Amino acid sequence: MTDNYEQPEERKSSFMPIIIAAGVTISFVGLVIFIPLFVVGLIIVALALLKVFKDDSEEKFSQLKEQPEEQWPLEKAGKEKVGVWVFIMSEILIFGSLIAAYFYVRTNSTTWPVATQTHNPIIGMVNTIILLTSSLAIILGLYYIKSGKTFGLKIGLASTFSLGLTFLVIKLGFEWPELIRNGFTINSGLPASTYYALTGVHAVHVAAGLVAVGYLLLRAFNGGFTVTKHSGVENVGLYWHFVDIVWMFLFPLFYLI
Amino acid sequence: MPRIKLYVGIWAGLVVATIMEVVTRSLPGAVSLLTLTILLIASAKAIFIALYFQHLRFESWRLAVLPISAIIGIALLAISAAFSMNMGG
Repeated sequence: MTDNYEQPEERKSSFMPIIIAAGVTISFVGLVIFIPLFVVGLIIVALALLKVFKDDSEEKFSQLKEQPEEQWPLEKAGKEKVGVWVFIMSEILIFGSLIAAYFYVRTNSTTWPVATQTHNPIIGMVNTIILLTSSLAIILGLYYIKSGKTFGLKIGLASTFSLGLTFLVIKLGFEWPELIRNGFTINSGLPASTYYALTGVHAVHVAAGLVAVGYLLLRAFNGGFTVTKHSGVENVGLYWHFVDIVWMFLFPLFYLI
Repeated sequence: MPRIKLYVGIWAGLVVATIMEVVTRSLPGAVSLLTLTILLIASAKAIFIALYFQHLRFESWRLAVLPISAIIGIALLAISAAFSMNMGG
């Protein structure tokens, strides 16, 4: 046993992930049976997130030094990054299931509307380029903070946030209302329900990413990141790029083919 | 850490590939062939993002086992579910 493990008070654990999971579960149940319960779930998630952000800004989640045998077989990555990749694994399963269901429904349907007649591929293309640019912005932010340039990090994170928000505004503020006005509602058949389910879940992930990037931005302005301390930027970046990857498939599936 | 030029180059390639997808959609030819081409371009874009923006290209191959195993897992589940439903099971 190392000194770290002989001093339990040094271990910075948090119940917040469990609280967040409970809040999300309550939200989903509420969405189906009782809308006020959905709001209660969201409030629980928001309060738990605030607590996580507060603890993180106070450096309460600093990693303990691990023994070599505890690091194997991912010595170079570090457990924070491995944790993010395990989380991304679960996200692959969520989106993979939804996309597989979409393929199954589509290939077994006798008729399916032509993509370009329902959706505007140019708007889809613009949104794709916006998301790709936001990925570039966050990776450049990481590059700059690794070089000690905090201003570059702030510009990168601010750009990522603005572009992510623009993506959502185009999607939810213009595209969806236009489709609904044209009678393409969630109840108007499988093409519509699969579209709203997949792009809706993706939009929720973009919104969650915006919350994380917004937090990073606030922390960056408070001097929370340095040349040696920037794992938060890298980890949120991994998630943001994953959301980008998902859109790389949703765009052609709904707008082109 | 790769250089900025590499990141900007990858981004420019991804933007061009996106435009190529839209152009491919309007080309004459068999729908199945065009669909396959578009999906291949989309897959290539996803791989480039994972390799260069998520840095899998520069990490230990052991880390890449995590997302790859999830992709294989979901593919097997989807195929088995589709097979089961088509068999009426």
